[in-house]
Amino acid sequence: MTRYLPPAAFGVFLLLAWEAAVRGAGVPAYIMPGPVAVLAALVNNAPDLLAGLAVTLEVTFAALALAVATGVLIAVALAASPVAERTFFPYAVFLQVTPIVTVAPFIIIWVSNIFAVLLILAWMAAVFPIISNTLLGLKSVDRNLKDLFRLYGASRAQTLWKLSLPSCLPYFLGGLRISGGLALIGTVVAEMVAGTSGTRSGLAGRLLEASYRLELATAFACFALLSASGLGIYALLQWLSRRLLRHWHESARDEQS
Amino acid sequence: MTLSAVSLRGVAKTFSSGTEALAPTDLDIADGSFVAIVGPSGCGKSTLLRMIAGLAEATAGEVQRGDGAVGFVFQSPTLMPWATARENCALPLALTGSGSDAGDALARVGLAGFEGAYPHELSGGMQMRVSIARAMVTRPRLLLMDEPFAALDELTRFKLNDDLLTLWKQNRWTVVFVTHSIREAVFLAERVVVLSPRPGRIVADIAVALPDRAPGARLSHAFTDQCARVSAALEGAA
Repeated sequence: MTRYLPPAAFGVFLLLAWEAAVRGAGVPAYIMPGPVAVLAALVNNAPDLLAGLAVTLEVTFAALALAVATGVLIAVALAASPVAERTFFPYAVFLQVTPIVTVAPFIIIWVSNIFAVLLILAWMAAVFPIISNTLLGLKSVDRNLKDLFRLYGASRAQTLWKLSLPSCLPYFLGGLRISGGLALIGTVVAEMVAGTSGTRSGLAGRLLEASYRLELATAFACFALLSASGLGIYALLQWLSRRLLRHWHESARDEQS
Repeated sequence: MTLSAVSLRGVAKTFSSGTEALAPTDLDIADGSFVAIVGPSGCGKSTLLRMIAGLAEATAGEVQRGDGAVGFVFQSPTLMPWATARENCALPLALTGSGSDAGDALARVGLAGFEGAYPHELSGGMQMRVSIARAMVTRPRLLLMDEPFAALDELTRFKLNDDLLTLWKQNRWTVVFVTHSIREAVFLAERVVVLSPRPGRIVADIAVALPDRAPGARLSHAFTDQCARVSAALEGAA
């Protein structure tokens, strides 16, 4: 428990200082609401905001799942041949360094389904860490273990399933933790660029709408929900990673000793 | 027809970098014998073993191996860290679809009760025992060992040497054991093949005559005499 006390105490201190500063200086709520006003906006608009959050998280997790499936497949294909890696990896880097806001206008024109638009853009943001980490893991397989598999005449499929994929699991999970955050960021950016609105819009759309109406407390509430979601996704993936690696990988063993 | 478990004719290895690791070598290893290969670091003894296993191509000459499965024990335990001792030991069975019981192999190396342990829960010596059990599990005729005990402390090493001899007497494998320890080679092997510095070639082929190989034999005069012979051959080649 004492581990969590200092950060929690600091957080409470920040909220109190924020509230005191806003009240003391008499700043109007449409410029800068205090945390009490934000909490009130969150409670008053709860059904609406949670519906928006559900839409955003649906896209986020769909994009993350798609990034995992395609990223691992691409990494396996690239690891299978040095020529394939030299040929295609630069284009994976291209995908990573291209800001998704600059691609969004094209996708919006080409794809009519708004869910698909958001999915594509969030996928673009999330897939690279999966590809690069999984590829690194596949190339870091113990040389002697590979020899052992050769000695016993293992097929390529056996070597992949029993050796390469388990070996690269820690690398993959490291990439997944990064991609989880990027999928959420990608979704939010895509929602803002695509300008979704109405009942089926995500939380980023609600945030923009609220700010246009100078309902800054509601906008802050959206912001708080998105940040909490990001932390939640990270915690979830961290927990998953420890659970999968606890028996064998250094990264998941430090708490026992 | 081959009476030898392993037969090398003019086998040589030059790496793609141009380094000549092993000069053309002839070697016959009789079925059921225990042969040690000693030599200085980088003399090509590991390469020789890998060529016998079929893990490396000879650049010249011919490698012939008798029938039957081959077991290989690496310098490091080379276990899959995500798998238990039993799963590691059963790997060759899963890959080849034949052999004996993994639990039985673990029991024979003294690891009964540790079947469910993960490698990080085992000491270095126990990890090496799992590695040996895994090499035994396909019931090999030929066991190739590449400095398997080099990283272990001396007490553990002596214990594993004694146990290896017992297993060899029970199973009558052909063992080819690469080491840089003269004492280990003389204690274990009936025959010690001495290689020169790179490019390796055979400079001595010494039959070791020890009245017994009980643990106490390491202190006998016969043992030290044999060590001195191998040592002289190594120094003569340097």
